[in-house]
Amino acid sequence: MNAIPCLTIEDVANLDGILGEFLKKAEAELTVVIDRGGNVISQFGDMTVMDVTIIAALAAGSFAATKELARRIGEVEFNALYHQGNGNHIFMNSVDDDTIMITVFGRRTTVGLVRFYSSSTAQAVGKLLKSLSTGGHGFSFDASDITATPVFAE
Amino acid sequence: MSIINYASREIQFKIVYYGPALCGKTTNLDYIHKRINPENRGDLVSLATAADRTLFFDFLPLNAVVIKGFVTKFQLYTVPGQVIYNATRQLVLRSVDGVIFVADSQWEKMEENVESFKNLEDNLAKQNISIDEIPYVVQYNKRDLENIAPVNYLEYVLNNRKRRVQSFEVVSSTGQNVFASLNAVSQILLHKFSKQSDTPKTAPVAIPIEPPVPQKAGATV
Repeated sequence: MNAIPCLTIEDVANLDGILGEFLKKAEAELTVVIDRGGNVISQFGDMTVMDVTIIAALAAGSFAATKELARRIGEVEFNALYHQGNGNHIFMNSVDDDTIMITVFGRRTTVGLVRFYSSSTAQAVGKLLKSLSTGGHGFSFDASDITATPVFAE
Repeated sequence: MSIINYASREIQFKIVYYGPALCGKTTNLDYIHKRINPENRGDLVSLATAADRTLFFDFLPLNAVVIKGFVTKFQLYTVPGQVIYNATRQLVLRSVDGVIFVADSQWEKMEENVESFKNLEDNLAKQNISIDEIPYVVQYNKRDLENIAPVNYLEYVLNNRKRRVQSFEVVSSTGQNVFASLNAVSQILLHKFSKQSDTPKTAPVAIPIEPPVPQKAGATV
């Protein structure tokens, strides 16, 4: 049996508190915390802006792809990436070795403000996630909870 | 491995289609995208070159209700098969939960199949994952072509480890066994995380393994 790391309802509430505060201060639309494999850990804000699952996969790829670029100029990796659009923009910053934070924002705010608040937010998120890995608990389910029918049907 | 979010009651699993260049990984995802109920899938995202070769990865998110009380999200990725893109393959394999190894059944592709499988083992090892621990199945694709190796030969070459896994004769262009192999790896990885069992309900396909018979390229059996 292998347990899956899990966020309890209390953990999620704490994370939402941190991310909600960040969105309010930075006046951004949406923020998503993902692991570097592209899985969504937590999200907060206007979910109608985009398909979060796809953005997470692409953002993880984008972040990793620039790592080699960073190495070429003597860096381990870039701590933050900014994609500028005409009206909507994406700012991504590293939380820790396993986690990235993505922020989507529009004309209401500026990249400077998002960058400023995202730094302390990333630290708070990192601290919370670290406490999960050290004192957290895993989740597993009964084999009888798994449906016997094919998972996917044509 | 993702984290379960109890508030949204979601579990995410990442399945990667791995294999040599032009073996049919993207075709698998294309077929699944076309045939699955649109309510249970997101968009198929393809980062390809102008010549339709996978440059970065293809990505298809699927939803299913397979664990009581939870929405289970399966994220399907393909890797670029071309040898030079190994760094990208390592990236796509990060946090992987299950693998479908897609082999090209044509005789002339056998060396590439073996190299790709070895590359999979090496790239998993870099993440401290052993191929013997991760749920995976093997597809023998392009079974509709003429110049193909027999299944027992492919089994000998690609599925001759201590732990033999389920294998499927696949024609990804027509969809033959595409869903069967996806369902198989999904069930194996779900059971990996269940409390009562480490093994899937379905037993591995028992195909007798025989020593390879030397074949000239182009020969059929």
